Amino acid sequence: MSLLKRLYRWVDLRVGIGEIADKELTGYLLPRNINAWYSLGSVLLVAFAIQVVTGMLLLVYYVPDAEKAFKSVNFIMNEVPFGWLIRLCHAVGSNTMIAALILHMLSTLVMGSYKSPREMNWLSGFLLFSLVQGISLTGYLAPWSQLSFWATTVATNSVSALPVAGPWMVEFLRGGKLVGPATLGRFFALHVAFLPLVIAMVIVVHIFLLKRTGVSPPPFGRSDTATPFQPERYRYQSHPGGIPFFPNYMLEDTTSICIYLAIFLGVVFFWPSMPFTPDAFVPADPFKTPAHIKPEWYFLANYQTLKIFPNELLGLTVQGAAMTFLALLPFADRSPERHPLKRPLFLTLVVGGILLWIALTVWGHFS
Amino acid sequence: MDSEGRRKFLGVCLAGTAAAAAVAAGYPVFRYLAPRSGATGLQKLVISAADLHEGEAKFFEYGGSSAVLIKTKGGEMVALSAVCTHLGCIVQWVKEQQHFLCPCHGGQFAIDGTVLAGPPPKPLARIPVTVTGGNITIG
Repeated sequence: MSLLKRLYRWVDLRVGIGEIADKELTGYLLPRNINAWYSLGSVLLVAFAIQVVTGMLLLVYYVPDAEKAFKSVNFIMNEVPFGWLIRLCHAVGSNTMIAALILHMLSTLVMGSYKSPREMNWLSGFLLFSLVQGISLTGYLAPWSQLSFWATTVATNSVSALPVAGPWMVEFLRGGKLVGPATLGRFFALHVAFLPLVIAMVIVVHIFLLKRTGVSPPPFGRSDTATPFQPERYRYQSHPGGIPFFPNYMLEDTTSICIYLAIFLGVVFFWPSMPFTPDAFVPADPFKTPAHIKPEWYFLANYQTLKIFPNELLGLTVQGAAMTFLALLPFADRSPERHPLKRPLFLTLVVGGILLWIALTVWGHFS
Repeated sequence: MDSEGRRKFLGVCLAGTAAAAAVAAGYPVFRYLAPRSGATGLQKLVISAADLHEGEAKFFEYGGSSAVLIKTKGGEMVALSAVCTHLGCIVQWVKEQQHFLCPCHGGQFAIDGTVLAGPPPKPLARIPVTVTGGNITIG
């Protein structure tokens, strides 16, 4: 122990880590009425870390070649010791991470944390949401199964509805007229090199913005002692008399992370078929489209929307408009009121939106 | 004073749980990355004698490593590890001089694997060979 203490003192003397720990851990005060929903950010960091680590491990045996990809994934699943575990963690982890991400966004919406001065936090978060959807889509192609091949065909094809540049953009996305080895190459590069890097950088920006603006006090529970926001100049929203991040809130974070891990590992061990349909176990065949090809659950609503609208461009426009509205919400919703029950119009929109999304997802699933 | 003991007990429990979790996560990763056993077993290898002419060498994989088979001018069969004992490069067969040359640091080995010149500290390892009929069995 004394050796550890001496090592700590040696480093502390040169870097002053004690001061950083005081300021960022015990001295970092959060609103007194903070609740468990605020820990979803930490849950997402852990979920992202799991994806990065399992993804790196999969790269040890996965071969990004249209001829060999499916075989290498089978090799990982059946031959490599614990290969099934690493792959399932990666496949299930993407699903549970998106679920946590949706909850994180919903809590931000309901508690009004996106409001001024946190517009940039919301925008960077929205960007992260889009990037995570992108990394899910590009990773989906990697196993080169019937499912991944045709899901990618359908997903990339929707871009063709755009006027003028549409058909050209589809070809550019795919690296050819149809989904093929060239598509796998570019999707693989996006999935393992470009998107993880961009996501990591936007996460840094997202946390930097959180640290600069300060944590938004929840609109309910015990009253907070936060310094009020003044619109005319920059000020860090501190919470004097709040609870320290360490150990108080870190314990809440750890609890949420454990609950997340319990659900995540529960799916991995007891419902390993969750991320796969039977088409996921058949190698890709460019000449045979399987019946009832459907995207992942988080794209089902989009999929169903495209089916409802007779015109593909119209369907895309509606979705694009909904997403743009969501992204620019902090600029449309300018009232400082943040309690959900005192914002009836907003609450109706959110509840209606969620119900619509669930309805479209269920409809898409059973259609 | 009681709370001091309880704190310590809980601390030990927490550390134990964390260690168990780390092992539970680390063991599969270690096994996943560990080299596959079984593939490097020393199986016998059979080569047709007609494939090899006098004074020539044939390189092949044996026991997960590189090996070489030479038919001497006298018709004798010699099998050796082709891995130079200096720094692990693969030796080349110099047909004209009937010896091995390591391209990395100029080590030279005789046809029976003994060191002729250069830095190699040990001779090339010999591998047993038996010739029965038209087949050469190595190992």
